[in-house]
Amino acid sequence: MSGLFTWLPDLLLAAMLVGLGWATVSSTDLRRSVALFIAFGLLLSIAWARLRAPDLALAEAALGAGLSGALLLAALRDEPPAGAVPEGLPRWLRTLVDLLAASLALALAWVLWETLSEPAPARLGEAALSALERSGVSNPVTAVLLNYRAYDTLLELVVVLTAVLGVVTLGRERPGYRRAGPVLYSLVRWLVPLLILAAGYLLWIGAQAPGGAFQAGATLAAASVMLRLSGIDSAGLPNGLAGRLVLRVTLSAGVGLFLLVGLGVMGTGRGFLHYPPAWSGGLILLIETAATLAIAAALALAFRGGRPAGWEADDPDHSPRERRP
Amino acid sequence: MSLTLLYALTGTALFLLGLRATLLHAGLLARVVALNVSGAGVFLILVAIAYREAGQPVDPIPQALVLTGLVVAVSATALALALHRRLIKEQAHE
Amino acid sequence: MSDLLIWPIVTPLAAALLALVWPSRATSIGIVAAGLTLLSTLRVAWQVSRDGVLELALGGWSPGLGIALRADGLSAILLAMSGLVSMAVAVYASVYFAGSAQRAGFWTLWLLLLTALHALFLSGDLFNVYVTLELMGLAAVGLAALGGGREALQAALRYLILGLLGSLAFLAGVAVVYAGFGSLDMATLAGVAAPVPAAWVALTLMTGGLIIKAALFPLHIWLPAAHANAPAPVSAMLSALVVKAALYLVVRLWLEIFDGVVTSAAAWVIGVPGGIAVVWGSWAALRAARLKLLAAFSTVAQLGYLFLFIALAAGLPAGEPRAAVMTALVLMAISHGFAKSAFFLGAGIVMQRAGHDRIAELGGTARALPLTTFTLALAGVALVGLPPSGGFLAKWQLLTTAIASGQWIWLPVVGLGTLLAAAYLFRLLGHAFAPGEGVGPRLAVGREEIPALALALTATLLLGLGAAGLWELIPVSAYAGRGL
Repeated sequence: MSGLFTWLPDLLLAAMLVGLGWATVSSTDLRRSVALFIAFGLLLSIAWARLRAPDLALAEAALGAGLSGALLLAALRDEPPAGAVPEGLPRWLRTLVDLLAASLALALAWVLWETLSEPAPARLGEAALSALERSGVSNPVTAVLLNYRAYDTLLELVVVLTAVLGVVTLGRERPGYRRAGPVLYSLVRWLVPLLILAAGYLLWIGAQAPGGAFQAGATLAAASVMLRLSGIDSAGLPNGLAGRLVLRVTLSAGVGLFLLVGLGVMGTGRGFLHYPPAWSGGLILLIETAATLAIAAALALAFRGGRPAGWEADDPDHSPRERRP
Repeated sequence: MSLTLLYALTGTALFLLGLRATLLHAGLLARVVALNVSGAGVFLILVAIAYREAGQPVDPIPQALVLTGLVVAVSATALALALHRRLIKEQAHE
Repeated sequence: MSDLLIWPIVTPLAAALLALVWPSRATSIGIVAAGLTLLSTLRVAWQVSRDGVLELALGGWSPGLGIALRADGLSAILLAMSGLVSMAVAVYASVYFAGSAQRAGFWTLWLLLLTALHALFLSGDLFNVYVTLELMGLAAVGLAALGGGREALQAALRYLILGLLGSLAFLAGVAVVYAGFGSLDMATLAGVAAPVPAAWVALTLMTGGLIIKAALFPLHIWLPAAHANAPAPVSAMLSALVVKAALYLVVRLWLEIFDGVVTSAAAWVIGVPGGIAVVWGSWAALRAARLKLLAAFSTVAQLGYLFLFIALAAGLPAGEPRAAVMTALVLMAISHGFAKSAFFLGAGIVMQRAGHDRIAELGGTARALPLTTFTLALAGVALVGLPPSGGFLAKWQLLTTAIASGQWIWLPVVGLGTLLAAAYLFRLLGHAFAPGEGVGPRLAVGREEIPALALALTATLLLGLGAAGLWELIPVSAYAGRGL
């Protein structure tokens, strides 16, 4: 009986996750489904905390539930009022999809059962922890992200940059929001400095404790989203013609500095991204600082939904179509 | 049954629920939400693999992979939504 | 230490950043970067042919804990093809996008796509491969949407959603691999992968994700619209390189890393759709009303052949015949890469001149654009697989192996596919040589016509006559633990 009692919270959490996930994907009302998705993200960050992944709990709250949620909520505004529902799949194909999903679920569940029931084999975790003192940081997740697998993180920053460049080439930003009333406005004036402070703290503490560039960047972006929602169109991003270069440099700063450090250490006779151990801590903090700014700028731009005024030197009003009738 | 297994199976369920919904939904926004749920399922599997009972250190590698995956998911969501918005505009012009 | 492995990745990446902060010089930056990247890919290929497999443990951490870049025969050949094709595309695009408002946007995304492709070909780590797949997908979608217009945007959106689904399935497979084998390093995995349930399920998930991206029938549905509605330089990159990247991974997984896991029965699972794709894709290309749509459907058919090769090779025991099939597969893949990029660039020239690409209204093309018509015909020869093209040698190998291993069923498939391909080529040429004014008067040869011609000549003459080098490079493998 005591077994069941200690298991109860986890069973409950797992059941709620599946239930909320199911409700999210099966709701026919878009608003409802987005709201459920945000709740799902918050529940997920509890699961991360339960699974001893506090870095992920922070990131999920800021990125998964927070920014994805904000992006989806903003996108709800774009939906045409009575959007014609496109044709769904024919029935036989729906049945096929159901069969496929069910059989994949069974196969995956069976294999996970087989593999995970046994005591965990020596995976790479032990190696990661024993090399920790040579990594320059003491938070193992940061060590993986910015040292052992720094190359993954470099490419991941490139992914963020690519996505946001795709967004800006697709069209101009959404119109801004109405100026907020005095209450919200003063709340934002309080919250934004706090968020900036929190971002700085997350960035700094990431070396030893949960936190780091991604959580910090997302927090900064959240500050920008708040400014935008309260009617301040520039939302903290450099604006206009003078700011164009600043914005472009900020966006490329994360990848750029990463590359500079990676290539710079080659100048000392080491391999690409092979930091001298004595310098690792400092170099990692340097990279993370640039990455925080770049991620924040990218996510803030993504929330605006397109290129801001003055992104191009001669911004055309309408993007020209391909030379085809 | 261990905690790892419980959450790995939960992740499996979410992965395939999301995958199925992505294929079956017709509207873009609903598909993007479903994709995100599906992705969360895969992340849950990875983090469950990393879990160890209290007293033993957890495996940081899958956790770092999931952090990477989260950022990729947000980026992809942003691009999909921007494409969708542009498409709606084009359709309104016609 | 093989630091030279980073340059094919770092060069286009650095150039993309430069183009972003200095948009007014984006075209020059793009062309110079394409040239430097080409040199770096050729350098890698040359080094591999001299010294064998190259490995670079990034950050100085042992592969497994850290990430390794590796170049062997297969990746070196694909890398060099990518360098050559993208150089030609860069020259063409500098004319195509001149004066366009999307010029700067094109070049940054294009350089990022190049970064992703090269990172993928060189990656030695399964999770890193997932990141490169996502990067490649997002860059490709951004480029495919540049055309604007409802059809292009709809196609790009469908491409994005299916591509994301594919990467997610791949990631799920990676998770199972890590649970079952405790490593993500591909060379380590090649040593430990055993025919256990974890390997089967992981391989199924990863393959499922990849065949969406490689557009294997019936999961090709996104390809024709996406490739046909993108701007011509983008279509060339997508058809020649991007689908090949996914195919490359299937080859790595099926024939090398999980070699001991794949059974000859499993090979039919990709062989049969491949065979259907050959016939169906060629048939759809024959019926296509537009030139770029014809090219896109022909890509579906050509991918079908490549999957046939994989199935055939998977059914053979390691040894001489299998290495021959592998080599023919690579020859077919790069010959299609050169020919299809030439074809799309040629189609783009016709389209810009005529203002449309409706095949039935292309009368007079041969008179107005003789060089481009010649390019299209030459590329067509390689696509059909007539001698002396690389495609011919590859198909010949396919047929002899199919006969030798008793798989007669593929003979009529290849025969029918070739006949249909010849039919769509002659249908196109028939319209192009017909009298008409659709394309306007004859003008001097333009700079944009040269790269397409160079690509077509490579596919038809250079590869056919110089294929011998491939036979030595392909067996140099970083992952074939049991030997080819």
